[in-house]
Amino acid sequence: MSAPAAAHGIPHAAALAAWRGRAPAPPRALALPAPELLERFHPDRRPGAMVPLRVGASAGLPCRAELAALLQSDALVEDEDIAGAPLLDADVLVIGGGGAGCVAALTAARAGARVLLATKLRLGDSNTVMAEGGIQAAMGPEDSLQRHFEDTLRAGHFAADKALVAALVSDGPGVIRWLIQEGMGFDLAEGSDRMGGNLLRRKPGGATAARLLSYRDFTGLEMMRALREAVLLAPGITLLERHPALELLTDDRGRCAGAVLHELARGRPVLARAGATVLATGGAGRLHVAGFPTSNHYGATADGLVLAYRLGAALREVDSFQYHPTGIAWPPRMAGQLVSEAARASGAALVNGLGERFVDELDTRDVVAAAILREIAEGRGVARDGQAGVFLDTPGLERAKPGILGRSLVTLTHLAHRAGLDAAAEPFLVRPTLHYQNGGIAIGPDGWSGVPGLLCAGEVTGGLHGRNRMMGNALLELVAFGRRAGAAAAADARAERPRNIGLTHLADWRRALIAQGLPLARKAPLVFPPYGNFDMAKDRGRAA
Amino acid sequence: MRVLTDERRCVGADLGAWMAAGGGAGLERALADRGGIIPAIEAAGLRGLGGAGFATHRKWAAVAAQPGPGKWVICNGNEDEPGTFKDRFLLSRTPHQVIEGALVAALAVGAADIVLYINPREAAAVAVAREAVAQWEAHPLLARLAGALGEAPRLRVVTGSGLYIGGEETAAVASVMGGFPFPRLKPPFPAESGVGDAPTLVNNVETLAHAGHILAQGPEWYRGLGLGGAPGTKLFSLSGDVLRPGLHELPMGTTLRSLVFGHGGGVLAGRAFKAVFTGGPSNTLLTAADLDVPLDFDSLRARGSRLGTGAMIVVGEGTSILRKTAEYVAFFAANSCGQCPPCKIGTHQVSRILERVEAGAGRPGDLRALENLAGLLPGSGRCGLVDGAATVLASSLRTFRGEYERALGPSGQEDGQEDGQGDGQGDRLRGGGLRGGAP
Amino acid sequence: MREDGLEGGAGVRLMFDGHAIEAEAGASLLQAWTAAGLPLTENVGCMGQGVCGACRVLVRREGERLADTALACETPAEEGMQVSFLDHFPARRPHAYDLRALTDSWTALDQIDAVFPEAKNCRHCSGCDRACPKGIEVQRMVNLAAGGEAFAAAALFDHCVMCNLCVAACPEHIDPAHLGQFVRRMSAALTLRPGDLIARLREIERGGQPIDPEAPGANPPPGP
Repeated sequence: MSAPAAAHGIPHAAALAAWRGRAPAPPRALALPAPELLERFHPDRRPGAMVPLRVGASAGLPCRAELAALLQSDALVEDEDIAGAPLLDADVLVIGGGGAGCVAALTAARAGARVLLATKLRLGDSNTVMAEGGIQAAMGPEDSLQRHFEDTLRAGHFAADKALVAALVSDGPGVIRWLIQEGMGFDLAEGSDRMGGNLLRRKPGGATAARLLSYRDFTGLEMMRALREAVLLAPGITLLERHPALELLTDDRGRCAGAVLHELARGRPVLARAGATVLATGGAGRLHVAGFPTSNHYGATADGLVLAYRLGAALREVDSFQYHPTGIAWPPRMAGQLVSEAARASGAALVNGLGERFVDELDTRDVVAAAILREIAEGRGVARDGQAGVFLDTPGLERAKPGILGRSLVTLTHLAHRAGLDAAAEPFLVRPTLHYQNGGIAIGPDGWSGVPGLLCAGEVTGGLHGRNRMMGNALLELVAFGRRAGAAAAADARAERPRNIGLTHLADWRRALIAQGLPLARKAPLVFPPYGNFDMAKDRGRAA
Repeated sequence: MRVLTDERRCVGADLGAWMAAGGGAGLERALADRGGIIPAIEAAGLRGLGGAGFATHRKWAAVAAQPGPGKWVICNGNEDEPGTFKDRFLLSRTPHQVIEGALVAALAVGAADIVLYINPREAAAVAVAREAVAQWEAHPLLARLAGALGEAPRLRVVTGSGLYIGGEETAAVASVMGGFPFPRLKPPFPAESGVGDAPTLVNNVETLAHAGHILAQGPEWYRGLGLGGAPGTKLFSLSGDVLRPGLHELPMGTTLRSLVFGHGGGVLAGRAFKAVFTGGPSNTLLTAADLDVPLDFDSLRARGSRLGTGAMIVVGEGTSILRKTAEYVAFFAANSCGQCPPCKIGTHQVSRILERVEAGAGRPGDLRALENLAGLLPGSGRCGLVDGAATVLASSLRTFRGEYERALGPSGQEDGQEDGQGDGQGDRLRGGGLRGGAP
Repeated sequence: MREDGLEGGAGVRLMFDGHAIEAEAGASLLQAWTAAGLPLTENVGCMGQGVCGACRVLVRREGERLADTALACETPAEEGMQVSFLDHFPARRPHAYDLRALTDSWTALDQIDAVFPEAKNCRHCSGCDRACPKGIEVQRMVNLAAGGEAFAAAALFDHCVMCNLCVAACPEHIDPAHLGQFVRRMSAALTLRPGDLIARLREIERGGQPIDPEAPGANPPPGP
């Protein structure tokens, strides 16, 4: 089912010989203009990949077919299911325990709000913790907020919302200070002092300046560790782990009034009533769109998009996904796991089965990914045990910069070890992996969705990245908009009180589905991927 | 017939009164025939009464065979197991009986350092033992012992950490050396390498208390005390749902029925008998089917259980086996010393699952998870703590599974229990039958 | 190939939380669990990257006496293994502090003792070291932190993935993982003051970094 994995190509042994023979392969620019490359080889451009949405606030918008099926489905809960359910009250409900959720919860709690933080898995289990490369913030003397602004827009093919991008890049330096205040560490430039020195900066793919700040090659982990401790210790935040949200609640004015949570430990619904709700549910990698493996964490099942859309929020760029160029292609058991862009940012080349480079490795992710898929499709890939990919030349990097693998690419070296290879001696076999949802719920600069009472932050939102996200803007976004949404939610929650909460929006939704001839049998959100072997409908009956 | 708990011998720290009650005779006999000590102990069939049931004469012979000087005898009175309260009785009521036995042992193995190692939480036992030790100092028997040993014996009281784990023999050695009572892997056994790497005999208080009597009255007398071939008497710490709990000294080999329904006066309030947690409580439960089992080391082992310390915690109808098991596993989890993560974390995981099942918050899969842990954990520690916890868990799961299922209720049950009969044997691979479906 | 990275075919047999399952050789324990059709709603996060610490397990390999702690996503299934998931649970009592209130760095070392008084009770059992799936010298970190050597302690906890196995392993309830984060966070919050960042923040405050949304670079280049 996975077309890009088609195994034709140059056998691994022959490809290794070619790679050795040509090392170091000379750089080579694309032989094809980028627009044509994307048109022909990017997975999102394949026929049938997209369908127009038929119901909801964004009817007519093209959407990835797998996602559209979930968006246009019926609710998992009925009104009668929530009768007698325990009720929890808060000023602000934050749904999602990753980076954006933690930042929003901290910000709201510090603004005086009583916060409920509900998360499907455990606090911190998220894509945030897996982010390796870094976080962008325009820091260098040659750099500016304007350049960050323009780079982000250009990388996103000018599809992003300028007001959002301006907010994002303007927050950058302040976000770094905030993170340091929360106890997150950052790499310093070589020889720099902790006080008064300079931060280590690297150039992310598609950028015009060195702007990527990092903590080794586990920046997200370092961030999540600090945020997790902060949330666990913050007075005013009540943490609900293993409490996925199944449906948003509305009040009699149509305002979002919280959510129906499912307490997995007991198999029963719990109502969380709140003056304002922040959706920070992350991405959709575990939908495995286009049959791709994914680098995403287990919980990335697009739940937030489903809930918000059903309540009337508008979406954007839901036909645009990011395929990270360098997912592991072999061994199969590690397929989809990420080899950080830090490897290419540090100088590692991509090499095809003929021992040739074929793309500027630091071009934007969509272009690099499409270029790899082209090499595979045209038979110049490397085939091994039924998997196809191209080489990521880590041995070449180590030769050029001795010691770099052990010193600053710790995670990569560890990954190679688990794959059973020595990164300094043998190149990784890589191919694109589903990495990021570029679009999402349309928001304003304070994180407001169009639905009163509902804010969004992090990967679940759309508009910041246009049609392609730059490396390092995801970590920046989740802090910048986590803070914005948290602050706005706390302020709004004091003004508004939900009354007569329920699921009144579902009747209109079902009428719309029926009018479009869409099936009511399909239920969403997905909550867990199919191979999680979990049936939510059955689990909900447990406590009955 | 009471030996150790005979009222005439319960003279406290008064050494003169002990001698007047017939004390000293065992040591006299030992001094008269040093080479006959170990054979006498062997002939008597004395075994380790702290729980292990190991043949006492072998331990003694092993230490005796090591080159001296510098050997140690540790009289282990750390006693901290739930439901065990025998050593504190002996140390506080009849300490000279214990000391004399320890001196006999010291003479047999050639040790000049004799330590009464006592749980500091038993303040009375510590105080009386200290006073008792002081009274020996000028006693002529001690001078004769010095003559036999070639140096003056150093008899003293050492209070341990008060931690349960300190009762394990290598932990007792570590504690006597002033360290944290960490058990270590054996071999080497303390008999080869104990206190300061010197050969060290570690015996339970009750075991040593018998030694003097065996020397004084002969192995035949001792053997004759027991029933059905089992030698001697045993102190049973009877507690739980019985009319007359307390310390009962009975012939080794007394039946469980006789202990509970005769000496114990039966199950409290005339309720039905459910089970007994024995020894640590770290062993397989005894049930109504075991009422006629003689309580001795070999008979209980033949039934798949153990005598342990002789603690017998009786559970009658109306008392929850699940709650009792949870209580004991929690005790083990809290007292795991930390050296072996599978022990510390594993017992804690069992404890957490039991607590939530008990609290009505059990989940589908909890029973399987418990069975799995009961199979995975044994053998995973430097000492036997984790094995004890796993054994009592497996036993209660196997025998009283219905109590667990009731507590789990319908929401905690798995569906499609095609192989969910549960035999508590999580340690063997069940063939075929891969499970599908969701909870 | 399937989405979870596994292909069909028999391989090794193991016992996992009471289920006798078969796994493809080379599959991780987590993949073996899902491939057997068993429900996975906890003890899972990054699915293989080994950075989230969610999938902690006890593992006993065939023929070995002692079990090990491990992360299921990066431990290959082996024939005859016995495996148990380990729940996540909060520390017995929170070690509460407010990093933002810790503004006087002269009191920083006192704060370590005030917030984590148990750290000085370390009994040196090394259970935390044995439990750590990342090979961190946890006990040394605890001892360094208790001795006030904050930077040295913080450096040792660089690779912590928040599995909290050391928290579960510690008999003195020191909560090493949280202590490690405390010294790390304190070190950053009190001593990391990048000059370039401070300069840029000052510049932004003064209005020196305006954004022009209609600058030439902010719009697509004119078509050919």
